[in-house]
Amino acid sequence: MDVQTLTYIVVGVTFALYIGIAIKSRAGSTKEFYVAGGGVPPVLNGMATAADWMSAASFISLAGIVSFVGYDGSVYIMGWTGGYVLLALLMVPYLRKFGKFTVPDFIGDRYYSQSARTVAVICAIFISFTYIAGQMRGVGVVFSRFLEVDVDTGVYIGMCVVFFYAVLGGMKGITYTQVAQYCVMIFAFMVPAVFLSIMMTGHIFPQLGFGAELLDATGNSSGIYLLDKLDGLSTELGFSQYTQGSKDMIDVLFITGALMFGTAGLPHVIVRFFTVPKVKDARSSAGWTLLFIAIMYTTIPALASFSRVNMIQSINGPESQGVPHAEAPIWIENWEKTGLIKWDDKNNDGKMFYSNTETNEMNVDRDIIVLATPEMANLPAWVIALMAAGGLAAALSTSAGLLLVISTSVSHDLLKKNLMPNISDKKELMYARLASAAGIIMAGYFGINPPGFVAAVVAIAFGLAASSLFPAITMGIFSRKMNKEGAIAGMLAGLLFTTVYIVYFKFINPSANVSDNWLFGISPEGIGMLGMVVNFAVAILVCKMTAPTPQAVVDMVESIRFPKGAGEAQDH
Amino acid sequence: MFQKWWLNNKLKRLISNNKLNKSTHLQRHYQYLFTQLNKPVSDINFLALDIEMTGLDHKKDEMVSIGIIPIIKGQIQPGYAQYKLLKIQGSVGQSATIHGVHDRDLTTALDTSEVIEWLLQQCQDKVLVAHHALLDIQFIEHALLKLGIPVHQLFAVDTLQLEKQRIYRKKQFIKNGELRLNACRERYYLPIYSAHNALTDALACAELLLAQLNKMGGLEHIKLQDILRKY
Amino acid sequence: MDNSELQPIFDFMRKLAPFDTLQEQTIKQCCSTLTIVYYSKAQKLVHVDTNQPQLYIVRTGAFEVSTQQGELIDRIGEGQFFGFSGMLSGEKVVNQVHILEDGLVYHLPASMFDQLRGSCYQFDRFFNRAFAKRLRNQSSLDRNAIDTARITNIMSKELTTIAPDATIHDAAMLMSNKRVSSLIVVDQKQLCGILTDRDLRSRVLAKGLGGNLSVASAMTQDPTTIESNSLIFEAMLKMSENNIHHLPVMSHNKPIAIITSTDLIRSQSSQPLLLIGQIQRQPNLESLIQVSQKIPDLLYNLISSDAKASEIGRILTSVTDALTRRLIALKQKQLGPEPMRFCWLSFGSQARQDQMAGSDQDNALILEKETTEQEAKYFKQLSEYVCCALNECGFPFCPGNIMAQNPVWQLTLQQWLQQFSKWIKSPDPTALLHASIFFDMRPIYGEISLFDQLQTSVLKDTKNNDIFIAALSQNALQSTPPLGFFRSFVIERDGREVKGIDLKHKGNALINDIIRIYALSVGIDEVNTSKRIERLVTQSAIDKDIAMNLLDAWEFIAHKRLTNQGRQFNQAQTVSNYILPDSLSSLARHQLKDAFKVIYEAQSTIKLKFLRQF
Repeated sequence: MDVQTLTYIVVGVTFALYIGIAIKSRAGSTKEFYVAGGGVPPVLNGMATAADWMSAASFISLAGIVSFVGYDGSVYIMGWTGGYVLLALLMVPYLRKFGKFTVPDFIGDRYYSQSARTVAVICAIFISFTYIAGQMRGVGVVFSRFLEVDVDTGVYIGMCVVFFYAVLGGMKGITYTQVAQYCVMIFAFMVPAVFLSIMMTGHIFPQLGFGAELLDATGNSSGIYLLDKLDGLSTELGFSQYTQGSKDMIDVLFITGALMFGTAGLPHVIVRFFTVPKVKDARSSAGWTLLFIAIMYTTIPALASFSRVNMIQSINGPESQGVPHAEAPIWIENWEKTGLIKWDDKNNDGKMFYSNTETNEMNVDRDIIVLATPEMANLPAWVIALMAAGGLAAALSTSAGLLLVISTSVSHDLLKKNLMPNISDKKELMYARLASAAGIIMAGYFGINPPGFVAAVVAIAFGLAASSLFPAITMGIFSRKMNKEGAIAGMLAGLLFTTVYIVYFKFINPSANVSDNWLFGISPEGIGMLGMVVNFAVAILVCKMTAPTPQAVVDMVESIRFPKGAGEAQDH
Repeated sequence: MFQKWWLNNKLKRLISNNKLNKSTHLQRHYQYLFTQLNKPVSDINFLALDIEMTGLDHKKDEMVSIGIIPIIKGQIQPGYAQYKLLKIQGSVGQSATIHGVHDRDLTTALDTSEVIEWLLQQCQDKVLVAHHALLDIQFIEHALLKLGIPVHQLFAVDTLQLEKQRIYRKKQFIKNGELRLNACRERYYLPIYSAHNALTDALACAELLLAQLNKMGGLEHIKLQDILRKY
Repeated sequence: MDNSELQPIFDFMRKLAPFDTLQEQTIKQCCSTLTIVYYSKAQKLVHVDTNQPQLYIVRTGAFEVSTQQGELIDRIGEGQFFGFSGMLSGEKVVNQVHILEDGLVYHLPASMFDQLRGSCYQFDRFFNRAFAKRLRNQSSLDRNAIDTARITNIMSKELTTIAPDATIHDAAMLMSNKRVSSLIVVDQKQLCGILTDRDLRSRVLAKGLGGNLSVASAMTQDPTTIESNSLIFEAMLKMSENNIHHLPVMSHNKPIAIITSTDLIRSQSSQPLLLIGQIQRQPNLESLIQVSQKIPDLLYNLISSDAKASEIGRILTSVTDALTRRLIALKQKQLGPEPMRFCWLSFGSQARQDQMAGSDQDNALILEKETTEQEAKYFKQLSEYVCCALNECGFPFCPGNIMAQNPVWQLTLQQWLQQFSKWIKSPDPTALLHASIFFDMRPIYGEISLFDQLQTSVLKDTKNNDIFIAALSQNALQSTPPLGFFRSFVIERDGREVKGIDLKHKGNALINDIIRIYALSVGIDEVNTSKRIERLVTQSAIDKDIAMNLLDAWEFIAHKRLTNQGRQFNQAQTVSNYILPDSLSSLARHQLKDAFKVIYEAQSTIKLKFLRQF
């Protein structure tokens, strides 16, 4: 059976699984739940949250970035993991006590202001939107490879699938469906990583293989460590050393910060924490989530390194003299069809050569690394098919959540509460559906014309979240005095600052996007953190100059932070 | 267009046909048809008709009973419904199981000529309607022939034909029995009458016609020439 | 003539009330004056010619009568009528008749209709009642719940009349022959007086007059009368106001019956007010159990008097309330006064005031403070007595043990506050199950202020608590109305046995859930579903169309459930909430589907509004 047929079958089977679970969990009556005596167990809820969390960006793109840029790519891993911890431990418990499960609702109530709420809504829409655009690109890559079409067509197909899944299908947001998605995803990700690890280092766990010695052709230890080999290859080909970063420390710091604080402001993840009925369960499911994310994130560097070595060797040949294009491995041919690998025979020798100097003849899109890994390593066809299913699961679970945030924010928060208060509930539903359709179309546009790689686009979303929502939420919880004027001014200032910076370097003047031109040497990916600082500063300044917060709100904030009734009730 | 022209011509010729002068009723009937051709059916008087026979062959079987019920301006008039039994040469035989008229009932029956005369009188200002009109008309024409009125040109609205057109417009084929009176009525959610009695069937046919005309766009929008057929 | 009569029309008319009361010959005559018209949905409205009034008898199809403003008055299906209002009132018809489903309609001309009304009093009464019912539908929303029964249900069926120029002797003979206590004096069919046995005593015998006296001289002239479409309550009022015991019942200025105080008393024996009065007077449990055996009869009477389902619920609940209070009072007589302030709470259907047949008891106690052993014993005895007694009176124990006799639900105000706070903060499945019961609460007996404090605090916690409301919504959406993908009914089965549609759990309960969510989200302190809707609408917390549709759907489903139960009760079957769609007319099926669709739409609305999903 060829790869394509297998892909259809595996993707079909996983979809059937999701739908089947959705139908079954719908048919089961509430009473059965009661007999079982307690909803979804924290372990499963942890998996579901992890599925929400691990987007196409983590699944498809993160390993690609790490693979290509080496050490620098680890900022994403650090930032996202740190952000998750920050969110789960520091913010969610307070928001929960406040009784709000969307960020705009919290901000609107905390800052007793419809305008604050509207600003937050706009921020949330903006962020979700950027994030989803990144997902569309990922879905496009998956489809383009496995349906053997070019990447743009892949995005179109992905748009249709996501639309049906998110807008028309009734299976989104069902915990057990997401548990299944996580399982498909993690399985798809781990299988090639384990295979490669065994083949290259003899270790079953990729995490161990990462630090181990490579095997030679006879299967004996060659005495060369994986990372040393990579460092050697990289310097030889004119890349910076793999284990040495090329970014400035400050940039690394800021990107990590932006990702971390941005995570805390991401609207669709927060919601998940409130679907668990008990605070205690919420905590333990957050712990499980962290573990499930960690399984994947710790594998990423290993997988990235394995495939990097594989890729360079199969393009340049064992002697680093280049491989004739006519004899190129089948995976290169396959990916050339999608337009994501390009070969330009500059010296007309008929051989491919990959390097970071003018001798480079290959243009390899980073987003293909994870998907191409099984092919590079000549893994069986079913592993390749599984990757497709995993990539799709990652993209679908995240996009469905985000589309819901976008469409309900537009229909409920923007239209019903602001612009058109008189629309009927039926109309509201219609607008929500329209909004998600529009969301997909616009996301598709950015998927086809991306302002960066998937992970980078997503990083920008995080930057925007960090600069706009995070300070407002934090001060809302931890500062009794912060008033609405301060919060609104802060959010606007942060968002504006960050957007302008990003738009300038990414769209208006992309050629200037080098570290010399950057403010304090901070890249657009990391500017969100500076935007956050701006936000804090402006907010505090404006707060000092304007009327103090009403006493009722001060009391409310107190009660969130020092719960009286809740503690007793818990002990009861 | 063509239909109208054809009906028009046909009726004109019939009206001026001297052979038919024997029956003034028939003349008036044609005259009525001629003047009404272009009118909407909501303005037209119909006479729903059903004949029970001893068999289906007009050459050897005989009419047993006739039921008629008028529809005036779209309203069925049960008060003016009429029912006649006919004298027959032989016996009703097995057909009694279908129409329920037994030989013993026929003691009060009338001669065929009387009944035909009565029928023509009834329809002089009305348009005939029947379900599977061809059969009924064949019997009437045969009876007229015997009376020395050689008519081969009677006109009627056939609810079976109307139904057939309607079904064909929706699908390719018609199943056996789909055009039976009760089957047709079921499609319009009309009540099912059990008795196979000339008068009940005439009523059933009249109700079916109204339902069909309503479904075809309403009585105001259909003209007589659209639905009238020559037999 | 015989042969040309149309058997199917005759057969239909002969079985159709009120024509079934007519002579066969009259029905035939009737049939011959009919005309038959087919109405098609495409026409939208039935064109009613006001100058030529007639009775429209629906043979097939479905129609809807509404006012010119579009307010629905009545739905008409097979074997029902319209067009009679104008002929009865003599006013020009202003109502509109919409065609819902194609169908055949028989037109009966006004002349024939009037002739039938003149010649047959049952026929006339039928349409008068129909007209009165229509008027009620049109005008009243909030009638007093207590007296829904109509006098037409209890008045004597036979009218005994005498002419004014007859002698007293004749009158006395007639009265004793017919065993009646009064005679209607009629002159040329017009009422001119009433002669009662009291008149005979006081105006004839007491004055020493003889039996040759004319009736006219002894009768009460121009007596107080009552219209046939009145309520029993109105009749009672009239009698006590005028200190009389007989009321001629009039329809269109003609006497059609007489109603006596005895009729009223007989009818009232299972009427709510009387029943409540009886309950309050009973000295012990045994007699209370006996009295409460009348509750099913009361329910059946209410159903057959065609009262609104919401009213029946309120009436039945007021009986339960009275019973509970009486039981507490009885036990307290024995135990002595309470050692501390307390409040007897009811939850669920009793709190919502929509109790129906076989509702179980859900109740609890709020205590002022922690109890000592002695005090605990007092409340244990009290609550066990009341709960067991209620069980014996026909309100079975709560299967979930949510009862005042369960120590778990004898809490101090503080403990209740914490309990609710816990449910609200951790809406796990148990909490959500409890929410559907506990969050509908009403004080029955004792210190109301305890209840008020609890309710105020609970509503403060639920109001704007998006997470709790979202969890409630999620839970409410687990159960959906029994409509399939193509608007077909989903029938529940138990193994091979077809159970039908559960009108309670798949109908009314879903609406209660939806409305509770809205009410808690804005902190409305009503618990009755229709009152909650009213408040939600005034606060603009709910889409008005959806609210009104839900209200109609609730009433329709509950009414279907009640009439079904009434039928089951009447046929001595097990009373259940299940109904088989096949047993409904096509119109009712159509309406039931509409009602379920309304629920479905309301569910999508709360999904979007409170869960931010669609």
